[in-house]
Amino acid sequence: MSQPAPKAPVTADPLVTHPLIAGRYSNAELNESLMRPVLAGPGRGWWVLVGICSALTVLLVVAIGVTLLKGMGTWGNNIPVAWAFGIINFVWWIGIGHAGTLISAILLLFGEKWRSSVNRMAEAMTLFAVACAGLFPLLHLGRPWKFYWLAPYPSELRAWPQFRSPLTWDIVAILTYLTVSVLFWYMGMLPDLASARDTARETWKRRAWGLLAMGWRGSARHWLQWRAAYVVLAGLATPLVVSVHTIVSFDFAVALLPGWHSTIFPPYFVAGAIFSGLAMVLTLLIPARRALRLHHVITDAHMDVLSRLLLVAGLFVAYGYVQEHFFGWYSGNEYEQHAMNILRVGPYAPIFWTVIACNVGVPQLFWIARLRTQPVVLWVAALLVNVGMWLERYLIVVAPLSEDFLPSSWKHYAPTWVDLSLLSGSLGLFGLGFLLFLKLLPPVPASEVKHLQHELEASEAFAREVAARERSAGGAP
Amino acid sequence: MKRWVLGEFRSPERLLAAARALRERGFSRLDAHTPFPVEGLAEVLELKPSRLPALGLVGGLGGAAGAYLVQWFTQAVDWPLNVGGRPLHSAPAFIPITFESGVLAAAGAVFFGLFVMCGLPRVTHPVFELESFRSASVDGFWVSVAVDEAAQLEPVAETLRTLGAVQVSQVEGEE
Repeated sequence: MSQPAPKAPVTADPLVTHPLIAGRYSNAELNESLMRPVLAGPGRGWWVLVGICSALTVLLVVAIGVTLLKGMGTWGNNIPVAWAFGIINFVWWIGIGHAGTLISAILLLFGEKWRSSVNRMAEAMTLFAVACAGLFPLLHLGRPWKFYWLAPYPSELRAWPQFRSPLTWDIVAILTYLTVSVLFWYMGMLPDLASARDTARETWKRRAWGLLAMGWRGSARHWLQWRAAYVVLAGLATPLVVSVHTIVSFDFAVALLPGWHSTIFPPYFVAGAIFSGLAMVLTLLIPARRALRLHHVITDAHMDVLSRLLLVAGLFVAYGYVQEHFFGWYSGNEYEQHAMNILRVGPYAPIFWTVIACNVGVPQLFWIARLRTQPVVLWVAALLVNVGMWLERYLIVVAPLSEDFLPSSWKHYAPTWVDLSLLSGSLGLFGLGFLLFLKLLPPVPASEVKHLQHELEASEAFAREVAARERSAGGAP
Repeated sequence: MKRWVLGEFRSPERLLAAARALRERGFSRLDAHTPFPVEGLAEVLELKPSRLPALGLVGGLGGAAGAYLVQWFTQAVDWPLNVGGRPLHSAPAFIPITFESGVLAAAGAVFFGLFVMCGLPRVTHPVFELESFRSASVDGFWVSVAVDEAAQLEPVAETLRTLGAVQVSQVEGEE
């Protein structure tokens, strides 16, 4: 059977309609366009955004100062709502990080080629999100300067941390996640740091990137070890990312509170984490692609596949909601039923239905193929999902605490200005980190994109060869 | 003092063909410098498979065992704290930290092992003396042949030229 020679570029999957790399470039051209963000000076837009994010970071510093000087009383949480913004923000930020690891590690193991041009930015997002996440439990300790009490060190008090408590699990999980993410990110960046070193004209830039590149020479021996190490780290990061949000969910699921004590929590949290992280990837990627002129390597194919993933993760989350409410009702326990009823029809109904609209409703747009490649639609949808996922964590943390077993101890929660400043300040810190990353370190893995293009060209050549052989065989119908 | 002859090729296929030809002519101290990994090059250069996965396994098991021991010792032996009558040595509650520590140790072992295996970090290397070698991380596919005697340099350079290298250079220095 003969087929027309496939239009460039072909991929292994005949269902893929959008190219992964738009057009064909020489390696030098690719290198030039992918290193341009770090080699060229920043534009005005970058400085404006850095100004805004720095102002928010100052607000964060002020709010942390107030918390440390005046104490935890400046936050809105109290008995019965003992956990509020501190834990909501923590869960939200740590969840956002998960999509970075999904893209960088899980998709590597699955051999998904499209990850090549977006994985660096997604991993950077992970790092800054996890750093922001770590801030909140630290402050929530009340006396953050005693954080080392959570580590098993031979103390003169002759006491050890209580390792049967999810709090200590959390510390180990978060620190491991942060460390492994940094190692994976840095290892993946070594060849591109060498490339930046060799492309830069200014001596100080060559020296700075030269030091960071650690003397990478792209030797065949380096690549052999690097590829082995990269796959092993991806294999380690994959179960890690699932375990981290599982352990975060244990903070709730191990407690006996109605609305928290549920076996659906670990998978439901992991799905929510990946969902919110994908939304944050899109939120950052769409403007970054435009500002850094990366349309040739971050194409409609990437938008298409990310929005599909958003839809799939959204369906997992929707299933989690259904299960949560079903089991609340099916338990036959009036406290469990109450914890779910206050969400649907009680005081939390406005927030709950906003969550449903953002997290279940909005992703359904992406059943329509045309909308999956519309950057504006995707960006607005991603923002709505970000908001929806934050509100979902608000409901998870605050609602069950505010109305538990004893109606006489019910009390509703309101954040203070310190809470709100910490949240907006952490957004500023996250944005500042990401903006600095875009200008200081190669934001797109140039070596991986060059490798990908070489693979695509080889696959095109193969397809042409097969077509030519079939034509010359003459047996074509 | 070590000496290298370096030749630049313009595509991975040409590099691979040249490396194969060099091996057939009996050159064994070969290396290549490329902007991205070239499939099949390790086989041509007869490089041994990486031992980093095994190192990761050992590191991971060690980290996990260490974490479990610390938990068992602190909870069940050194400071037995009765929490609602639950067992002091409660293995299920020790799993999360055991797993996380195993992953952390494995990742650390692989990461630092990579640097040891690659002989990095190092700030200088004789090949960096060559200005045109900057293309090795951009779009040049370099092959390097190590030689002992200065007299061998020119014949090797000539071989590289006949194999189609677009430019050939010689560097010397301490490895």
